[in-house]
Amino acid sequence: MSVEFLVCIVTLFFLAGIGTPIAYAILVASIAYLFTAGQGIGIVGKVLMDGLYQSFILLAVPLFIVAANIMNAGTISDRLLGFCVALVGRFRGGLGHVNVVASLIFSGMSGSAVADAAGIGKIIIQMMTKSGHYTRGYAAAITAASATIGPIIPPSIPMVLYALVSNTSIGYLFLGGIVPGLLMGGVLMGMNSFLSHRRGFALSEPVPLSELPRRTANAFPALLMPAILLYGIYGGVTTPTEAAAVAAFYALMLAAFFYRALSFRALYGILVESARSSAAVGLVIGGALILNYVVASENIPSMLADRLVGLDVDPIVFLLSVNLLLLLLGCVLDATTIILVIIPLFLPTCRELGIDLVHFGVVAVVNCMIGLITPPYGILLFVLNAVTRIPLAEIIREIWPFLIALLLALLGLVLMPGLVLWLPRLFGYAG
Amino acid sequence: MIRLQSGLRHFAQAVAAAIMALMFLTFMLQIVVRYSARLAWLADTFPILDPTLYGWTLEFCLLLWVWLVFWGNAFVVRQRDHVTFDILYHYVRPSVRRWFIIISGVAICASLLLSIEPTWSKFYILRLKSTATLSAVFGDWIRMRDVYLVYIFFLIAVALRYAWSVYRAVRFGVEEPDHDALPDTPR
Repeated sequence: MSVEFLVCIVTLFFLAGIGTPIAYAILVASIAYLFTAGQGIGIVGKVLMDGLYQSFILLAVPLFIVAANIMNAGTISDRLLGFCVALVGRFRGGLGHVNVVASLIFSGMSGSAVADAAGIGKIIIQMMTKSGHYTRGYAAAITAASATIGPIIPPSIPMVLYALVSNTSIGYLFLGGIVPGLLMGGVLMGMNSFLSHRRGFALSEPVPLSELPRRTANAFPALLMPAILLYGIYGGVTTPTEAAAVAAFYALMLAAFFYRALSFRALYGILVESARSSAAVGLVIGGALILNYVVASENIPSMLADRLVGLDVDPIVFLLSVNLLLLLLGCVLDATTIILVIIPLFLPTCRELGIDLVHFGVVAVVNCMIGLITPPYGILLFVLNAVTRIPLAEIIREIWPFLIALLLALLGLVLMPGLVLWLPRLFGYAG
Repeated sequence: MIRLQSGLRHFAQAVAAAIMALMFLTFMLQIVVRYSARLAWLADTFPILDPTLYGWTLEFCLLLWVWLVFWGNAFVVRQRDHVTFDILYHYVRPSVRRWFIIISGVAICASLLLSIEPTWSKFYILRLKSTATLSAVFGDWIRMRDVYLVYIFFLIAVALRYAWSVYRAVRFGVEEPDHDALPDTPR
């Protein structure tokens, strides 16, 4: 390790540690790196701009953000919930199931876990606490856990970022996420049933089955969205990036004309808010591009690959240890940073060991999403705490069983690549 | 002074919203044109729909994207919108937190200001490099340098913003951190 790289790492960790925004900490650290290495510090700007200007795939990020914000602002989320209550609300722990199913459907439209939790999650927490059958900690915990499915089922912003750093096909990554997403939904519902029976949560008044057709009709246009998106991408109608624009357009049409729930003023607010989030995410992505340039010029990924391959580790052991490492990092780091900065370090090793990069990518994204709910640093916990005022301590106390369920699902995905790769192979993936 | 400030803020937000909307519309246009291009009679009847007129959409979106990122971070993104690791920051005493703000502000301000000149000389050579397709929209004068110019604005604006936050921290100390601040960056 060179002196300048040491300077870079120390600056980065020091600044990030004292609360400098991660993106700026990276910027300053890479300027410090180039300065001590005696290279021109103008390279930072050049690498950053070239990277952002040449990555067409990144355009999906702002568009998915707009789409999610429009769906949350219109009444689309409420209608979906109405449908889910009629569908699974009759079982014990009904609203818990509603929560998971709503997340599954919503995740087919939005690519972001935070949008999922802050939008539909907030509404269902109110429903759960108002029903009086659930503690508010339980309501928030299951919401946080089910929101992690959002970026696993396509569309997905984290998978777009992984595709960017790994050069894998975004289409196959999206397909690879579908079964794991359903699996995560399954284990969460299983855990919810188990806990509801053990704690004896009361049954909710079931919605009469005769109501179901009306509620389905009410939510039908929104339910069409995942189908439209998937058909758009896999039918070859749009590229995955364009599908993001179509999603935003469809959500806009629904909210503005069909449900008439969106004023011009509200739309302006959505655009400003989306621009703000996109810019903040874009800067982190740009920072990661520079950091990857630094890491690449230090030749770290291939050194790591040589070292690990030399140790002759079993691919499964390697995968398990990387996952353990990512989980630990997920407790203290943000998912975007992990995907863009940490994961590229392991990609050459994966290639050497013959681990499929789509499998690795989906597993890594699932892992990072679980990281969003691991205390102490879990963005989803903070978001729910901020939008519902439920104390963090109560949420964290209830989160453990769901965390364990998700970890079991993750373990399954690591050990059985077929779960991830079955669907992509069906659509012609050669890996 | 306050009216001027709020006017400027509204202007910056309006620009960001416009970029966002424009990007969205350009994408829709691109999809529509790809399908209308198959219908030859359409371009014959309405010359405006001739698909060869629309080669620029992709690069135009990329231009909007980089401008969105750097315009946004220069003028629209607030401190609390950023991805930060703030466990330590919230944990320490206000007097220590004040030093945190000062140190990180000075570090950002100094390195961004220092990098302006070298960055500009890197970009300056791009005055010779024309863009792939954008001259169809803007005219022949546009060069890669003009596209990248926004990064220089960004360097200056962010350096000034952090210089200001350092000044405030030195002069007035720190405000209690806003625990309710919602990290609304989707990820």
